[in-house]
Amino acid sequence: MSPLRGNSARGSLVGLSVKTKLLTACLAVALPLLLSSCGSSAPPQASADSATQAAATTPGVLVEDAWVRATVGAKDTTMTAAFMSLTNPGGTDIKLTSATSPAAGVVQLHEMAMKGGKMVMQEKAGGINVLAESHAHLAPSGDHVMLMGLKQALKPGDEVPLTLKFSDGSSHDLTVPVKAFSEEEEHYHPSATPTSTP
Amino acid sequence: MLGKDDPAASSTEATVVVRDIEPYGDHQPAVAAASPKHAELVALNLLSGTDRAALGRLMRLWTADIVALSAGRPAPGDTAPELALPGVALTTTVGFGPRVFALPGLARLKPGGLDDLPVMSHDRLQPAWSGGDLLLLVGADDPVSVVHAVRRLVADAAPFARPVWRQTGFWNGTGADGKPATGRNLFGQVDGTGNPAPGTPEFDSTVWSTDGPDWFRGGTTLVVRRIRMNLDTWDELTRSEQERAVGRKLSTGAPLTGSVEHDELDLEKRDADGRLVIAENAHARLSHHSTNDGRRIFRKGLNYVQDTGATRESGLIFLSYQADVAGQFLPLLARLDAADALNEWTTTIGSAVFAIPPGFHPGGWLAQPLLR
Repeated sequence: MSPLRGNSARGSLVGLSVKTKLLTACLAVALPLLLSSCGSSAPPQASADSATQAAATTPGVLVEDAWVRATVGAKDTTMTAAFMSLTNPGGTDIKLTSATSPAAGVVQLHEMAMKGGKMVMQEKAGGINVLAESHAHLAPSGDHVMLMGLKQALKPGDEVPLTLKFSDGSSHDLTVPVKAFSEEEEHYHPSATPTSTP
Repeated sequence: MLGKDDPAASSTEATVVVRDIEPYGDHQPAVAAASPKHAELVALNLLSGTDRAALGRLMRLWTADIVALSAGRPAPGDTAPELALPGVALTTTVGFGPRVFALPGLARLKPGGLDDLPVMSHDRLQPAWSGGDLLLLVGADDPVSVVHAVRRLVADAAPFARPVWRQTGFWNGTGADGKPATGRNLFGQVDGTGNPAPGTPEFDSTVWSTDGPDWFRGGTTLVVRRIRMNLDTWDELTRSEQERAVGRKLSTGAPLTGSVEHDELDLEKRDADGRLVIAENAHARLSHHSTNDGRRIFRKGLNYVQDTGATRESGLIFLSYQADVAGQFLPLLARLDAADALNEWTTTIGSAVFAIPPGFHPGGWLAQPLLR
């Protein structure tokens, strides 16, 4: 019992310190960005003063390093995923509640989950939570923004407009680059699992 | 026990200095920063389908990569994210070669004088080291970080441009006392003493463009010359012959008429035999701004070695920043080509010129005022 506790305590400590370090590093870089992005996402009907106040106290979620996986060469070119890092420097959890894009018929927030011994992709109930003073990393084989019913194939070098909506009422309009990436491809094309055909 | 009494000295020894350089600013930040320990330059040519709009997409893509990599984060979609490290002072500088301004819509926005350099009489230019439509100059304290960043930036550029040359170099800008120093080329010369100091009005007026097209205010131009150095014949000289060729002392970089590195040159001083102490054809005289109608440049160097089997070529990747290539650099180049004593041991084998767009601020992107 005690060795187990010792291990888990050490494990979480390491995890915590790494997380804190990463957050500190990101915040240092992100602060100027936050200021500019908050101004634009403030509710238009609020007075300038109160908008500035709100921005200063609840800075909202910072979106960084967004990209979309290209569909060129994929078996199913009607869907793909967007990935990014979400940072919540505030003291209250904020959820990514929805996303939209003119490039896709349907956009959903997805997670990977074990079902019957198999890793499957499914819609994430309630959205993707970004804990207070922490990050959520949307990455291949983890949570992601699923773009379905693509209106055209996406090739590296293209850009996709993407709007994210958060539980604090803020929204972010992004222009996301399309990049080539092959890892975990089958996870996003569950119907096209590689077969043993030669 | 020496040094133990000095607490400052021992704490310097124990501290590993790590730093990140902000990617943002009115100017691309690496230009005025100290030379990186390790650097790679990549020139790329635009693919035929890359128009002004596509170049804008590439700049947005590179900006996001640069912001992430500068902070030690993987680039978006990084296939080797573990290679991204913070604290290595990673910087990326992006430039546009003259042909970029041949794209429809960009011709009238070309910075004045941004043309391929004329070929000098001592040049032996090789196409493999010359020209290019885009430049990436990546520097860091750590060579793994440089290689990783270049790999991401070149991979992300694949839909738009392909590499035509790559040059890898290194520089030691730290003195024996651990403080920033000018650094030395592979001849052993202190190299870059005459530079205007970043942060001074001389530096600003030398480097940053203030006229020309609006989008280019705060930009600069970069000349890249790959200079092969013949170390074998250089090593046959006596030290006084070597010092005479440059006009500076090898030990400190001080002018032959002075005692410390930054002493002003006395270009009139003669020895007991009536000969000029700093010779008529000494490099330091010919390149000094007082003999060039006040024209200055801001030059940086990167040493290189190029190995082919057991054969080594050594040289200097000469980097010159100036607001105006034609007005500041070309007259100097012509002067040095005509008379520089160092020409006997140096041969320029590569030459390229780039406009270095101004910097970008959070939420903005590289060359946005040109390409939006």
